[in-house]
Amino acid sequence: MVQLLFFYFALVVIGLGLRIVTCKNPVHSVLLMLLLFFHMAGLYLLLNAEFLAAVQVIVYAGAILVLYLFVLFLVNLREEIKMSPFVQKGKWAGLVAALALLITFLRGVFNFTLGPHGQYTIEKVQQITHTKAMGEAIYTTYILPFEIAGLILLVAVIGGLALAKKEDKGA
Amino acid sequence: MVHLSWYLTVSAMLFCIGVFGFLTRRNIIMMLLSIELMLNSVNLNLAAMSHYMEDIRGQVLVFFIIAVAAAEAAIGLGIVVTLFRNYRSVYTEDITILKG
Amino acid sequence: MIPGTYLPTEYLPILIMLLFATGFGVVTLWVGRFFRLRRPYAEKLIAYESGNPPSAPPRFRFSIKFYLIAILFVVFDVEAIFLYPWALVYDKIGIFAVVEMFLFIFLLLVGYAYAWRKEALEWER
Repeated sequence: MVQLLFFYFALVVIGLGLRIVTCKNPVHSVLLMLLLFFHMAGLYLLLNAEFLAAVQVIVYAGAILVLYLFVLFLVNLREEIKMSPFVQKGKWAGLVAALALLITFLRGVFNFTLGPHGQYTIEKVQQITHTKAMGEAIYTTYILPFEIAGLILLVAVIGGLALAKKEDKGA
Repeated sequence: MVHLSWYLTVSAMLFCIGVFGFLTRRNIIMMLLSIELMLNSVNLNLAAMSHYMEDIRGQVLVFFIIAVAAAEAAIGLGIVVTLFRNYRSVYTEDITILKG
Repeated sequence: MIPGTYLPTEYLPILIMLLFATGFGVVTLWVGRFFRLRRPYAEKLIAYESGNPPSAPPRFRFSIKFYLIAILFVVFDVEAIFLYPWALVYDKIGIFAVVEMFLFIFLLLVGYAYAWRKEALEWER
């Protein structure tokens, strides 16, 4: 049963990924990306990371894709659908580079051995709930990354508004 | 029993799909979307490692990566909007000002 | 329990609900094909705008205002996500957790004040 669910999610994720990068219409790509994010959340559930699954759905599917859709409608490309979605020069070079990278990764994957195990077994995470386990780690050990994340979000809101907001009506 | 290497294989394939999309798409918005694909594959990798090592650190890192990805999308799409406003185009071959 | 054999059984109702919802949509549309009439003509195939002729092509250019609102939404959505695990553990960590979370919220409050100063919250015209 676990294998069945895993293969379903994995095949859908890979197939949607291929479809997304080859799709001519960017709006279709973004909508397929939404489906991919939901299947990614399913994979997180299989990994006993229910909080990550929820974050994936709320942040990626709920917020980031809305941003992408708004920008796509803002630039509103109608002629895109008739042209090739790929660059003219270097398309095959890109394919070869990606395949070479894949072969390199796969050689590493099958020679990989795990390090020592930690203390968060499945039973322990189930008992204290995943969200609480995450919170204990974030707000005791990882305070500095947490505050840096706040700083990055501040940069995002200021940078995004400064880039996109018009200064004057004439400019 | 699902082996760790299966998750790592899925993650590697998704990452390479993202690399392919980033290198070959003309549309800058699609290049950013390919970056999101790559970030997702890295997240899957970290979450799987974390699960199989019975540790929580990898999943905390995934959480931070998602937060940074949101910031990256906001800034990146802001740059796309500014480019579109100045050049009326979001294609890589039209924005060649550095070629002189 | 060995990693890799875990099955999230408590999510079975959600899976059933998703299957049922998808199945309902697909099956009703598919079954309807055999019963509904299909007599298209030119007026019937144009976009439906409450009976009026369409005034503009459907893919007009969106305003930049939507994008500004979307940026603010993304950033404060992530902030709210950070609050969930904090709300579960702050009583265990104590005053330290409150201080660090208020520092975090203060950082984003600066961004909020900037958005307010820049009039990104106004919906002019």
